[in-house]
Amino acid sequence: MRIIGDTNIPFLSYRKIALSLSLLVILSGLAYQFLGHGLNLGIDFVGGTQVTIKFRGEPDLGLLRKSMTDLDVGTPLLQRFDEPEKHEILIRVENPEGEEGDFTGPIIELLRRDLNGGIGDAFDLNTRGAQSLTLLLGVEDPDATGLDDEGAAEHYGPIAEAVLGFRKENGIFTSLDQLDTIEGVSENVIAFIKERADLGEFALLGAESVGPSVGEDLKEKAQLAIVFSLIGMLAYIWLRFQLPFGVGAVAALFHDVLITLTALAVTGREINLPTVAALLALVGYSVNDSVVVFDRVRENLKLHRGEDLEQLMNTSINQTLSRTFITSGTTLMVVLSLYFFGGDVINTFAFVLLVGVIVGTYSSIFVASPVALGMHRMLASYRDKKRLKGRKRR
Amino acid sequence: MEKKVLWRVIVIVAVVAAAMWSLWPPSEKIHWGLDLEGGVHLVLQVQTDDAIKAELDDAAQRLVSFAADEGIDLGATEVDAESFRFSVGVPANTDREGLDEIIGRSFPDYDVTRAGTSWSLAFKPNIERLIRDQAVRKGLETINNRVDQFGVSEPVIQRQGIEGDRILIQLPGVDDPERVKRIIKSTAFLQFKEVMAGPAPDRPSLLAGYAGLPPSDGEVMTGNRTGYAGEVVGRSYYVVKKSSIITGRDLRSARRSQDEYGMPNVQFDLVPSAADKFGNYTSSHIGTPMAIVLDGNVMSAPTIRAKITDSGVIEGNYSVEEAEDLALILRAGALPATMVYLEERTVGPSLGHDSVVRGVRAAVSGLVLVMLFMMVYYRLSGLNANVALMINLIILLGAMAYFGATLTLPGIAGVILTIGFAVDANVLIFERIREELRVGKTVRSAIETGFSRAFGTILDANLTTLIAALFLFQFGTGPVKGFAVTLSIGIFASVFTAVFVSRTIYMILLAGRDRVQTLSI
Repeated sequence: MRIIGDTNIPFLSYRKIALSLSLLVILSGLAYQFLGHGLNLGIDFVGGTQVTIKFRGEPDLGLLRKSMTDLDVGTPLLQRFDEPEKHEILIRVENPEGEEGDFTGPIIELLRRDLNGGIGDAFDLNTRGAQSLTLLLGVEDPDATGLDDEGAAEHYGPIAEAVLGFRKENGIFTSLDQLDTIEGVSENVIAFIKERADLGEFALLGAESVGPSVGEDLKEKAQLAIVFSLIGMLAYIWLRFQLPFGVGAVAALFHDVLITLTALAVTGREINLPTVAALLALVGYSVNDSVVVFDRVRENLKLHRGEDLEQLMNTSINQTLSRTFITSGTTLMVVLSLYFFGGDVINTFAFVLLVGVIVGTYSSIFVASPVALGMHRMLASYRDKKRLKGRKRR
Repeated sequence: MEKKVLWRVIVIVAVVAAAMWSLWPPSEKIHWGLDLEGGVHLVLQVQTDDAIKAELDDAAQRLVSFAADEGIDLGATEVDAESFRFSVGVPANTDREGLDEIIGRSFPDYDVTRAGTSWSLAFKPNIERLIRDQAVRKGLETINNRVDQFGVSEPVIQRQGIEGDRILIQLPGVDDPERVKRIIKSTAFLQFKEVMAGPAPDRPSLLAGYAGLPPSDGEVMTGNRTGYAGEVVGRSYYVVKKSSIITGRDLRSARRSQDEYGMPNVQFDLVPSAADKFGNYTSSHIGTPMAIVLDGNVMSAPTIRAKITDSGVIEGNYSVEEAEDLALILRAGALPATMVYLEERTVGPSLGHDSVVRGVRAAVSGLVLVMLFMMVYYRLSGLNANVALMINLIILLGAMAYFGATLTLPGIAGVILTIGFAVDANVLIFERIREELRVGKTVRSAIETGFSRAFGTILDANLTTLIAALFLFQFGTGPVKGFAVTLSIGIFASVFTAVFVSRTIYMILLAGRDRVQTLSI
């Protein structure tokens, strides 16, 4: 089977249109980033606290917002996490300026105060841990084992794990009747838990808090990673190819990154550490794509000495076109599975790669080679002028 | 089979066997990151200034009490932690030579400045750094003890940071982060102190007998005032002696227990030397109150009814869990300084579980799509690439197990990307072979040229990605590092499988056939 046959498309003839289009997109993207809301930097880089909560039923956003005002830290950001029917909410707040400390604790305390008032002193199956349940069961001993503290912990430990294992699978208990579905736990224990425990309105899915000093560190490390990988790749391309090709590959790389950043800004997606990792993977992919074309150009240069570079480049792009599309296709297949099935945590990561692969494929054809060609011609005319001058002087 | 081919097969089988061997059983060999397993990642900073102040406070108290033992009465002390010194009042008629001797004997870490009636003792050079270092080390040890007693399996507790004053804690599988954070952060500095006055409902009435200022050897401390049902109804104020009778350091053990009404409390035992001291004190102070102070809070101030020697009880309206946790941190010891959380990342068990399910689903669907495509597009050669891809994944996971690398959610994404990148090498080769076939080369020579021509390109293309991955590994933290690891290993594995394994498969297929007319590609 063949999708792309022998083509002979004069890609480089379209270079002016293509480069203008790219430049237009990049410039309007930069304008959008600088004049609009800009990039949405996540707590990894600007610091702050972010708590993901799962609710038993439809969460009351108004109540949540009101609850969070007691933190005195500006407007909290509330947004849905994952599918709406999962009742999951992400709460993000800024930390008090310049302060370090435990900021997730107070948020959870406030939620307990405002949402779980109804359950009083009962053991909250939705927020407490297995160790606490083991202790409670050990002290009250519903199985009437008569064991000492240590023995009781051994007996009730696995039971508590099994009971709270339900939460691990499902995220939250929505009804005490769900206890009946748990296997390997005696009726006495279930009856006791039903009596002594209750269900709070929420369960903690995740919490992240980054103070200013760690935020600084992370920012610095991300910058170093980006700068050093760029330098590394430039050095590599410079060693392996002539200057014009290096410049072409780098132009394509910046093209891809800038457009992907614009896509991030436009969609308002949060930029965190994994996003930076995805951007660097994209940089690798982008250079990879350019290198494949240039390798072919280099090979053709040896075979057909004296032929016009533009013609050679067109031939090379056409020869590698099939590969370019198939590789983009297979990479897109995996990136799309990641985008659709990977879940909310990894979604922005997948988004970066998705945009990057599409833009990267375009740029390896319409940016890398045209820029390399332009650079080559500039250098050639510069050399010619020099030679001419030299002659005149002679 | 030709000898050359046989050797290649042996190498491949050996590599795959080694990978399988290091991978088996996968559930034990692949370490899951906190983002998949669920757990807590914390970075704490040790407030070493506290330790400096505590050392100066302690030294000032020691100097006064040593001097008193030799019959020298000193004036008030004042601590200046900012410039690492404390001063002590030396009245005009003091035996200065005696005092000098005490300082020379017991305070070798200090330089003395004698200025009339106020002497000042300052740290010698480097002592400050030594104390800070000790505070972090003691903190690390204490946290280790606490985590160990709490019962977390495979915790990571490390010192880090440029100043060396940060402690990284990773606790997999923890499902109640708030409780663990409380246990880790409690300073748990326990003191038993003589009550000089109180309890009083407010500060002015407490200090009425002292003309508004506490005595020089005493200080004001407060605690919760509780009603009959144990509910908090206000604060109680006490004047307590600055020097403690015994402290948490003198405890040999502590455990949760309960009183005759079933109220949870904490029972403790003292080490023998402290038991003597405590026995002497309690026997001579029967009928007077004694304050039990935890982290500067008066927990209770019971009246001493009889001589107490080696054991006692701390009461304070605790729940079972609070009593359990207090006993735990008292056993594990006090922190030498307060700790401040700099970073927290908690992943609840259900979120981690969810991430695993989704990550695996994404990986499998990506893999199936790619494999199907390769089969449809390149037919039998696609099968060849798919075999190489499977071997690639086995090598990738095996290498991760061998290096003890951690699998994170971005790491799974790295595996998925590797699937995409790995077939790229095969695509490069196959497209090249097709080209060669189109210009009329024989199957053998087309394969030959295809591999050799594509090799340079594959190397260039993969090295550039490797450069990014390596720097990501160098500067990445946590989950991102996991991504860099899988990506780097994946790159090596895919070059090996695409170039070496696929080639060998062709060799086997073509072996023994003299003239091959067609290639399924």
